[in-house]
Amino acid sequence: MNYSLYLHIPFCVRRCAYCDFNTYAGQEALIPDYVEALRREIEAVARAAPGRLTVHTIFFGGGTPSLLSPRHFERILTALQSHFSILPEAEISLEANPGTVTLASLRDLRALGFNRISYGVQSFHPEELRQLERIHNPLDVFDAVRWARRAGFENLNLDLIYGLPEQSLDRWTATLRWALSFAPEHLSLYALTIESGAPFGRWTARGLLPLPDPDLAAEMYTQAGERLGVNGYEQYEISNWARPGFQCRHNLQYWRNRPYLGFGAGAHGYAGKMRVANALRIRSYIERCKSPASLPFPLSPASVHKRVISRRVEMQETMMTGLRLTREGVSAREFARRFGVQVTDVFGAEIEKLLGLGLLEWAQEKDDRILRLTPSARLLGNQVFLHFVD
Amino acid sequence: MNNIRNFCIIAHVDHGKSTLADRLLHLTGTVPERDTTEQILDSMDLEREKGVTIKASAVRMNYTAADGQTYELNLIDTPGHVDFGYEVSRALAACEGAILVVDATQGIEAQTLANLYQALEADLTIVPVINKIDLVTARPDEVAEDIASLLGVPPESILRVSAKTGENVAAVLEAVVARVPPPKGDAEAPLRALVFDSHYDSYKGVVAYVRVVEGRLAAADDIRMMSTGAAVKPIEVGIFAPMMKPVAALSAGEVGYIATGLKSVRDARVGDTITSAARPAAAPLPGYRHPKPMVFAGIYPAEADDYQDLREALEKLQLNDASLYFEPETSQALGYGFRAGFLGLFHMEIIQERIEREYDLDVVFTAPTVAYEVLLRDGTTRIVDTPADLPDEGEIEEIREPWMTIEIITPTEFYGPIMELATKRRGIFKGPQYPAPHRVQLNFEIPLSEIIVDFFDELKSRTRGYASLDYQFLEYRPDKLQKLEILVNGEPVDALAAIVHTKDAYHKGQRMITKLKELIPRQLFEVAIQASSGGRVISRANVKPLRKDVLAKCYGGDITRKKKLLEKQKRGKKRMKMVGNVEIPQDAFMAVLKLEEE
Repeated sequence: MNYSLYLHIPFCVRRCAYCDFNTYAGQEALIPDYVEALRREIEAVARAAPGRLTVHTIFFGGGTPSLLSPRHFERILTALQSHFSILPEAEISLEANPGTVTLASLRDLRALGFNRISYGVQSFHPEELRQLERIHNPLDVFDAVRWARRAGFENLNLDLIYGLPEQSLDRWTATLRWALSFAPEHLSLYALTIESGAPFGRWTARGLLPLPDPDLAAEMYTQAGERLGVNGYEQYEISNWARPGFQCRHNLQYWRNRPYLGFGAGAHGYAGKMRVANALRIRSYIERCKSPASLPFPLSPASVHKRVISRRVEMQETMMTGLRLTREGVSAREFARRFGVQVTDVFGAEIEKLLGLGLLEWAQEKDDRILRLTPSARLLGNQVFLHFVD
Repeated sequence: MNNIRNFCIIAHVDHGKSTLADRLLHLTGTVPERDTTEQILDSMDLEREKGVTIKASAVRMNYTAADGQTYELNLIDTPGHVDFGYEVSRALAACEGAILVVDATQGIEAQTLANLYQALEADLTIVPVINKIDLVTARPDEVAEDIASLLGVPPESILRVSAKTGENVAAVLEAVVARVPPPKGDAEAPLRALVFDSHYDSYKGVVAYVRVVEGRLAAADDIRMMSTGAAVKPIEVGIFAPMMKPVAALSAGEVGYIATGLKSVRDARVGDTITSAARPAAAPLPGYRHPKPMVFAGIYPAEADDYQDLREALEKLQLNDASLYFEPETSQALGYGFRAGFLGLFHMEIIQERIEREYDLDVVFTAPTVAYEVLLRDGTTRIVDTPADLPDEGEIEEIREPWMTIEIITPTEFYGPIMELATKRRGIFKGPQYPAPHRVQLNFEIPLSEIIVDFFDELKSRTRGYASLDYQFLEYRPDKLQKLEILVNGEPVDALAAIVHTKDAYHKGQRMITKLKELIPRQLFEVAIQASSGGRVISRANVKPLRKDVLAKCYGGDITRKKKLLEKQKRGKKRMKMVGNVEIPQDAFMAVLKLEEE
């Protein structure tokens, strides 16, 4: 069983107005200690693991991982290499903000083994970027992509956000066209979610910002899907499109409900029938990692939550995550192989109901049957997923 | 008997009745002085905490007066809500005197007056007291003038106290002793004891609070309830001091309790007369009335699994509340529940609050309605208290609805807004009275159906909280009434039906549709909502189908958070009620209560 590794880098120059992820601005002075803490946590978890684990994807997410210097990454990657068997063809991704990278830093990162970069572009409209309180401008994207290509990155993703308050269909189409002009291998289109904990949530609650129109967002999504299809991108997940062969293998690990380890403040892991989560705050994470305690795998001294996943819950979660995969869906054969029971025997009633509502469909794939969302249900995923929670 | 004084305290809500009662209990040493905020007469919370009933609505106090003699003072509590007019009248019937408490800052209010008139009707001696003289906004001289002109007594005779600080409260006890006459009644006559309140005790059964009017009641005597003829062997006879304390006997003039062992307060109703089984009285005391519910509503568990718990809660509430009535009812929209009858809107609110607070049940109350008398073409009359049950228009000759007389007391400046409010709701103005300077009492006749939905709130907001309201049943009158139905995707929703005046049908229908459109969430298909009345659709709206409902991102493998959101969404869905295949949130069934006035 190949593992995936997620490393959370919670530092940001400034927090964006829509973001409620576990990130902190103005704490960059803690970066050296944080990198040390990551090394300790990696070592602690790897030591408790049942043997040396094989790793096929590594993902640095944030926050703004590109705030770390190549030297920091080198230290972390060295720690990973000394404790895990990282496959030669492993996907090693870095989330980066345009405006925080240089040609030199990208060359260093490529030399360290990074082979995929995911840029948080969000929009190409200066006004929208200001509304989102992003720190970059559209020109930064131009440089960031050009430099990445020159540094040798052949797998680029651009993150875009649609359904912004007051965003018109035209503006969204313009952003999309700009994005396509860079010919990225991968595109993630995320509908804006208004989070109550983020400034956007407070502003909309106080009436300072209008709520996005969900029907318009649906229209944006539909049109974008068509445009990306014409341009040779295949949709493989609710929010993700890629040129053939460039699906994000790290994210596929989550959706296929396979094991991953999470390192860093607030990071989540899933291994050994257990879901675990780390302390959120940077300082408490650093403090906890100083503990020499040896805990059962996959817990680390930084873990503050753990939940044992029963077989029933694992089956539910496999449905919930697998049905996000719009082409691959949940394979009947794979489900039976994994759980020793037919998916229709476990979730027969739910599946029948959802087929009847036109939200799910069966697709024949050689000698396998695949359960997946119907095209019109891709934006109604929750109406499907909630049948697979208690 | 000469040293007994039976009295009550009448006051508007918040004028300080409970605080004054506490002071009297402390002054007489009945209850040791402690935290004065812990009000003994309003002891619902206390009861629950201790798990025993110490409902002290008739406390005996022993008081040594200035004349050196010791008196037995029985303080009888009266319910504070306007819905309990009958209960108040029975409590008054157990007394010879009443302390009239008026707030020195607020002056006389409708409820004070209503109770005062009842007290005067019951021939009680009134001891007027102005309370809260310690407040800077107190205007005792003005209030004293008002009371003096109302009662025809010299202003100087009106006591001025502060129950909060204790100032001058001893004078109240002296006045009770000096002014309230001792009870009369032949101790040798056959027993006649008036039940003026009751509660249910899990060990002693129904405890009837009684005033012995004539005769003598010993613990060993078999007794009989005169309205039903039911024979009872009392478990215990006693007094409230303030806890229940057994005594050997109660004699004419005395106030105390009989632990009957009966299983329901309906078997020992307020107003009934208890007599001796061995030597029964010839006739009961006058004035017994069977309480009749005036306001009806459906009560449904928010989650169907709670049906049995809801039944048990209602049964337990009924043990202590003879005027609460309920029977099982089934709604196609809300499932299994109960049709309940209440004395009035306040009574309904109290029950709703108690179900939710004391029994921790999540319930859906349908919009309250009144009982209509429907005269059918075939000459028969039917009572309809569920709008969905109204027969077809073609079968109906006439619909009659209950009318009330209402009295509103308000500072004169709010005359206009109140006239507007009442006449808009079909109120008929019967003229003003001026009980005190700057105060006007406006008398109306008005259909009960017009005042059970947010009339009181509306009155308060139009008068900045100054107006007070009292009402009594008047009679049934015919009017142009018709059924207003709400249809969801073509299916009528029984729990949303209403009976409305013809002239209001259109507006109410429209407002219901507007409100429901806000409340019904978008579903996987389009939902049509229609209001129909008098055989035609008068308003419609569509709820567009849901297009987008998905979490865009599952961040950094945090499946747990995503799952929590889905679980929450699923719980919300589960609590929705199904009409056909349309999910309707529970709020929608209360929508009619929340229609704002345009």
